[in-house]
Amino acid sequence: MSTPLIRNERFVQIAAPLLVGVLVLLLWQISVMAFDVPKYLVPSPVDIAESLVTDFSSLFSALMMTLKVTFLAFVISVIAGVAASLLFVQSKWIEVSLFPYAVLMQVTPVVAIAPLIIIWVDDTTWALTICAVIVAIFPIISNTTLGLRSVDPNLLSMFRMYRTSRWQELVRLRIPGALPYFFGGLRISSGLALIGAVVAEFVAGTGGAKAGLAYMILQSGYNLQIPKMFAALILITLTGIILFAAMVWMSDRALRNWHESALKVEH
Amino acid sequence: MTATKVTPLNPVPEPETEPSVAEAGAPSRPILQVEGVDKIYGNGTVALKGAGLTVKQGEFVSLLGPSGCGKSTLLRIMAGLGEVTTGTVKWWEQDYDVVGSKGCKLAFVFQNATLMPWARVRKNVRLPLDLEHVSSSESEKKVDDALEMVGLKGFDESFPRELSGGMQMRASIARAMVTEPDLLLMDEPFGALDEMTRNKLNDDVLKLKKENGWTIVFVTHSVYEAVYLSSRVVVMAARPGRIVDDIKIDKPYPRSPDFRISTEFAGYCRQVSQALERASGMGESKENC
Repeated sequence: MSTPLIRNERFVQIAAPLLVGVLVLLLWQISVMAFDVPKYLVPSPVDIAESLVTDFSSLFSALMMTLKVTFLAFVISVIAGVAASLLFVQSKWIEVSLFPYAVLMQVTPVVAIAPLIIIWVDDTTWALTICAVIVAIFPIISNTTLGLRSVDPNLLSMFRMYRTSRWQELVRLRIPGALPYFFGGLRISSGLALIGAVVAEFVAGTGGAKAGLAYMILQSGYNLQIPKMFAALILITLTGIILFAAMVWMSDRALRNWHESALKVEH
Repeated sequence: MTATKVTPLNPVPEPETEPSVAEAGAPSRPILQVEGVDKIYGNGTVALKGAGLTVKQGEFVSLLGPSGCGKSTLLRIMAGLGEVTTGTVKWWEQDYDVVGSKGCKLAFVFQNATLMPWARVRKNVRLPLDLEHVSSSESEKKVDDALEMVGLKGFDESFPRELSGGMQMRASIARAMVTEPDLLLMDEPFGALDEMTRNKLNDDVLKLKKENGWTIVFVTHSVYEAVYLSSRVVVMAARPGRIVDDIKIDKPYPRSPDFRISTEFAGYCRQVSQALERASGMGESKENC
């Protein structure tokens, strides 16, 4: 006997937010048309869709630039963040000595230091990437270090009873145990890498071939091309959602057999 | 029924039992010798005061006492997992370095199953062998044997979360078994299980002890479990943690479940309970002073 779609959990998870989105867009379109709101104040969803099509070429190249900076920053954050966590967990002294500097990076507003980085680093892409890394790296360091330290003390005792090396302890115990924390860090960091890239672009104000979506928003604002501004904003939002969904998928794949966060509870 | 206070310990109540008599035919090689051990934590808590205990080959010794009397602390010291403040501990009449060598293997079963949740049962059971770099073919055979002995054959590809509490504990025992330990230390392993599962696992442990010739030190809160399993019940008191009684359970192995409903069993339980009550009273009176 087939199950009605409405009882299918997966279907509901996708259909319910989609339905809400469609309703909001409809309401938006009707309101703009009913009150005759000018396009340069609030464009209708149809105006934005039109802009997405007509300005596709410039929007797409801007999207690619933002994505490039985001991915570079994200990958560097993951590699450097995990390396820093592995270093911290080797000795309390190392952690105590270096962790405050990781916090310092986190609490310093990127808009305040971005101009300096842009002056110091010639290549715009790398300057933007460094700014985004500063924003994105902390959750990776913080979560992974916490995970590597949150080992079941009894399991640790058992490993020590068998006189295991630090390497064995790390590979067989600490790293697998830290995975849920690491993936938690990835989810936050992926979004922050995008935010960092966009904020850095705003500060840098880079135009021409290296213009990203943030520059496109600024430029459209100056030219009162509000539908294009919304279109760029939608692309940023969609990128963030896709990144987050990819992290959730990876986390579920890695943890689905054993960790509570990824287990399907049957009632 | 003969119950004997066998080991000279800290100040203890008047013995209610016969003088110590070596069990006929029992091997007498000391496996563990704990002498005058004090354990004081950094915050000043005296976890153990003058603990002394000798465990001989083939014995099944239970440590019994109220919460906070230092049973688990003493067991961890026996496993080499905790430093003593003063006193000495000998394993096979030598320093801890001997542990792990042939004929001097030690395994520990924790209060919780303490399995790696991300690894399947087979990988969990094989862990000690992997850590000791035992060859794959040898370790696979040992794992198969251990899983069969604890009744987990067919569950080797399951994840720990897919097993019941009792099965997880069996996996934990299998993990201890694969190293073929000469001394098995068990820290209240069945405390969280229901009575039926606990009784079943008690019988399993006795069966495995017989088959493998283990010497076992077992921490428990249960008088019944201690009497059923042990050849000696060591009673501890709290504040500070110390050994106050050592009662011999003079009932030969193998022990059948019928032992649990015998008058002999009831008599031992009464004797151990009285010792435990005295031990609890000692802690309270000390505290009241």
